[in-house]
Amino acid sequence: MDRIYALLVGLAMGALIQRVRASSPGMIARNLRLENLSIIKFMATTIAIGTILVYLLNLVTPMHFDIKPTYVVGVLVGGLVFGVGFGVGGYCPGTCVVGIGEGRRDAIWSIVGGVVGALAFTLTFTTIVAPMNKLMDFGKITLADVLHAPAVAVAVVLGIVFLGIVALLPTEPGAKAKS
Amino acid sequence: MTSPVAHAPPMAATAGKGIPSWARLGVIFGVVSAASIALWAPIGVSGTYPRFIGAILRRVTPEYAAANPYLVKMGSLLKPETFLVIGLLIGGFLASRMNREASPETEMVHAGEKTVSARYRDAFLGGFLIIFGARIAGGCTSGHIISGITQLSVSGLIFAAGVFASGIFTAKMLNAGGR
Repeated sequence: MDRIYALLVGLAMGALIQRVRASSPGMIARNLRLENLSIIKFMATTIAIGTILVYLLNLVTPMHFDIKPTYVVGVLVGGLVFGVGFGVGGYCPGTCVVGIGEGRRDAIWSIVGGVVGALAFTLTFTTIVAPMNKLMDFGKITLADVLHAPAVAVAVVLGIVFLGIVALLPTEPGAKAKS
Repeated sequence: MTSPVAHAPPMAATAGKGIPSWARLGVIFGVVSAASIALWAPIGVSGTYPRFIGAILRRVTPEYAAANPYLVKMGSLLKPETFLVIGLLIGGFLASRMNREASPETEMVHAGEKTVSARYRDAFLGGFLIIFGARIAGGCTSGHIISGITQLSVSGLIFAAGVFASGIFTAKMLNAGGR
């Protein structure tokens, strides 16, 4: 049953990524150059709606949460490496799969690069990555744990803050600067 | 002055009057992401890459695959996450074809990409780095940023800060000479 749910979620997610143009590496590059913020605002809207919904639903029925551990050094280094790849290629691990679905040739090369990257990672995991990821490991912590506040309250406030930022930010700040 | 490098198809940043399409799609994605946590688990894509490598290594060199702690930890390719990735591929295909879109032309993303082979090179390099970085951090745009922050996980916020810091820097630097 989980496989069917996962397939359906993937179908919806793939269609949404395609429609919002997040599978376009040119669009991603414009977002990272801060000329157009539509994908960043799309992501912030998704997070705002999602966090409010899951924590409200959690009051009624238990959710299948899976909090990732906060090993500060590894998560930050991984994010920085990811960001360079995101900036160079214009693809995420998921958006390049959507890109292949809509027929993008360069997305195939992104997947090939990703598979080679996964092999390189597997070969270096025990020597380099595992020791680094033991540094500053705080385990599976949430913002609610850090703030010592009820998760549902933190979720609603965070969601409203994200929606506020989305509403205030211009979608095309680069358009004015260009003329 | 228009940028000489951006050849993306003109995109509907706003769906006519009223609600911009990124906002509408973001709300739908928020509901899908919450439904995923309610029914199955948080979405995540990048783990499928090392599971794919694991499936190959188990055929080619079973002794090594069984002795590698990372491949053992990541488990089989038959996990539901793999079906999510298959969904992304089909979802991207269906969304583009149902809207009567042809396969997009390969976009030149940065000023330095003068040829299609330069674009393939950048897509490959980007693909390598996003997966290597995502695996250090334990998740990517979907697992850490979308569903991570949705669950209020601190690691998701740290990962997102790293991604956007180096992603914005990289994208701006790569285009700096081309204007």
